[in-house]
Amino acid sequence: MSDATGPRSSGADSLRPAGTIHDLGYKRYVGARLASSTRWLVVMKNHIAHAWKTWWRFKSSLGLAVIVTVIAGGVMFLLQDRTVKGVVLPSGIAATLTDGTLPRSIQWYSRVAFLVSLTIGARVVAGDVQSGAFTFYFARSVRPRDYVLGKITGQLVLVGMIYLAGPLMLAIARLGLADSTDQLIDLLPVIPKALAVGALGTLAFACVPLGFSAIVHNPRYAMALWASYYLIVGGMAWVLSRVTDSGVAALDLAASLDRVAFWLYDLELVWGRAKRIDPYVALGSLLAHAGIAIALVVWQVRRAHLRGIGGAS
Amino acid sequence: MSEPLIQLEHLTKRYGAITAIEDVTAVVDGRIIGLLGPNGAGKSTLLKCLLGLIPYEGEARVLGLHARTHGAEIRDRVGYMPEQEAFLSGMSAVELCTYAGELSGLPRTEAMQRAHAALYYAGLEEKRYQSIDGYSTGMKQRVKLAQALVHDPEILFLDEPTNGLDPRSRDEMLELIEDLPIRRSCSIVLSTHLLPDVERVCDHAVIMHHGRVRFVGSIDELRDTRGRDADLFVEVKADAARLADVLAAAGATCNVESPVALTVTLPLDATTDLVFRRARDAGLQIRGLGVRRETVEAAFLRVIGNGDA
Repeated sequence: MSDATGPRSSGADSLRPAGTIHDLGYKRYVGARLASSTRWLVVMKNHIAHAWKTWWRFKSSLGLAVIVTVIAGGVMFLLQDRTVKGVVLPSGIAATLTDGTLPRSIQWYSRVAFLVSLTIGARVVAGDVQSGAFTFYFARSVRPRDYVLGKITGQLVLVGMIYLAGPLMLAIARLGLADSTDQLIDLLPVIPKALAVGALGTLAFACVPLGFSAIVHNPRYAMALWASYYLIVGGMAWVLSRVTDSGVAALDLAASLDRVAFWLYDLELVWGRAKRIDPYVALGSLLAHAGIAIALVVWQVRRAHLRGIGGAS
Repeated sequence: MSEPLIQLEHLTKRYGAITAIEDVTAVVDGRIIGLLGPNGAGKSTLLKCLLGLIPYEGEARVLGLHARTHGAEIRDRVGYMPEQEAFLSGMSAVELCTYAGELSGLPRTEAMQRAHAALYYAGLEEKRYQSIDGYSTGMKQRVKLAQALVHDPEILFLDEPTNGLDPRSRDEMLELIEDLPIRRSCSIVLSTHLLPDVERVCDHAVIMHHGRVRFVGSIDELRDTRGRDADLFVEVKADAARLADVLAAAGATCNVESPVALTVTLPLDATTDLVFRRARDAGLQIRGLGVRRETVEAAFLRVIGNGDA
């Protein structure tokens, strides 16, 4: 149904150009409204849907994660008898590719997660500040905690698809390559270990870029800041740790995650960045990074909420 | 009896040493209410208080709900069209409006249907799938109106809705604002600096100055606060200057606009009869006489001026 009303016909009003108002038939909404405690779910779904909309934001990275999984799985299956360089069992014997590929693959998933953090995570809060989206949110029954929870869980889901699904499939493949039932039973802990490493990587690579996006108000600067921290500060920390023989290399997120992965899988690194980090320091670094990042997001969103909407007063 | 739209009791809002709103008590009701005031008058702060977004002293109720304790509920029943851009980058108009509906508690299917209807109503039917990033100023204003409407609010807060619009778009926006209370049974609070917009669409006004409310009432009351129809516009067949002289001698204040027209402010206790009598005595023929209504702009300046005094 559509109808039109012209301008009011009195006096000077008749000189107005005739605009046309269309109406599809208005009806007052009488249904129940969803509880305000569910707003974070709406924010989360929108975050995921927005990421999924274009190929470059998330789909391309997910494709790379699939390629990593296929290649790692192929290496585990085809090169079972070969040993992996630089990785040994606690006994000092070189680990086979079958055992070493799963923790080794984490560094490749980290590279893919870093791409996702650039295309999505590091832009979130800064982009919303720049576009005035907080006015859009807070003029509705959205609380700061709904926004923070929605964005963080949305980002966790996206990064989790990379860090959890791939390693979990590789862990299942590892079980499939067991020589006997006894070995299969012995190997069962690889599943929770894969999930634990994946969860830790998901937490770090979902939250830390969000934290950087809360520091500055321009999404490009936020991306640059996060990339600089990840690539340059991480690299410098590693060099510094070599010179000072300290655990400062734990500032390198990917190396810390590697260290935790090899530690959980009872494998020792002969060389590499991760070798210099104590596993507990690595674990603490990842959790501290995530915690600080969440605090930064909460701080920035609360500031935006306190500023309120409308003009500056 | 239904609750008034807005009730304020000793509302005060301070930002540190600065008092943005000072001890405001008022009951605001109407169909389209103009919220007027110069920059820094406290209009935006009042809107923030009414939406329950900032703490304040005193009481503020919207639709009978306390803004301090029922902010979320109020925001579900109020639509807000901000002055500045408040979009999410990379979204189309229909995605944004659907999201807005969902964030206000509508189920997704309902939100999507209402998003299409609101965009159609706002005049964006053919452009609703395009990204908002590429919209013109006029189209962005329409999207802002649609996103404020999508969750079926009972009150709309419109902050400078005609800012930056060309004359035609401004005209169409004002037509929509006039139409909304009729078609959608919602009231509108129109915060604007453009007094001709208020004159055209508003039936009530709230005037703020220096954090205080200087006037609350209907537009007619605003214009008629002097209590009588003392300002006249008079047309004569000829020699308006002579009529001005004889009326001035009787205590009126006159201003000759043309050889055949003048404006007259009558002295206290005088009526239009004075004009007719003096014109007859002077042998002048009156062709027209009307009450010169004060414009909203003049009334606004008068109210603000009184405030300063």
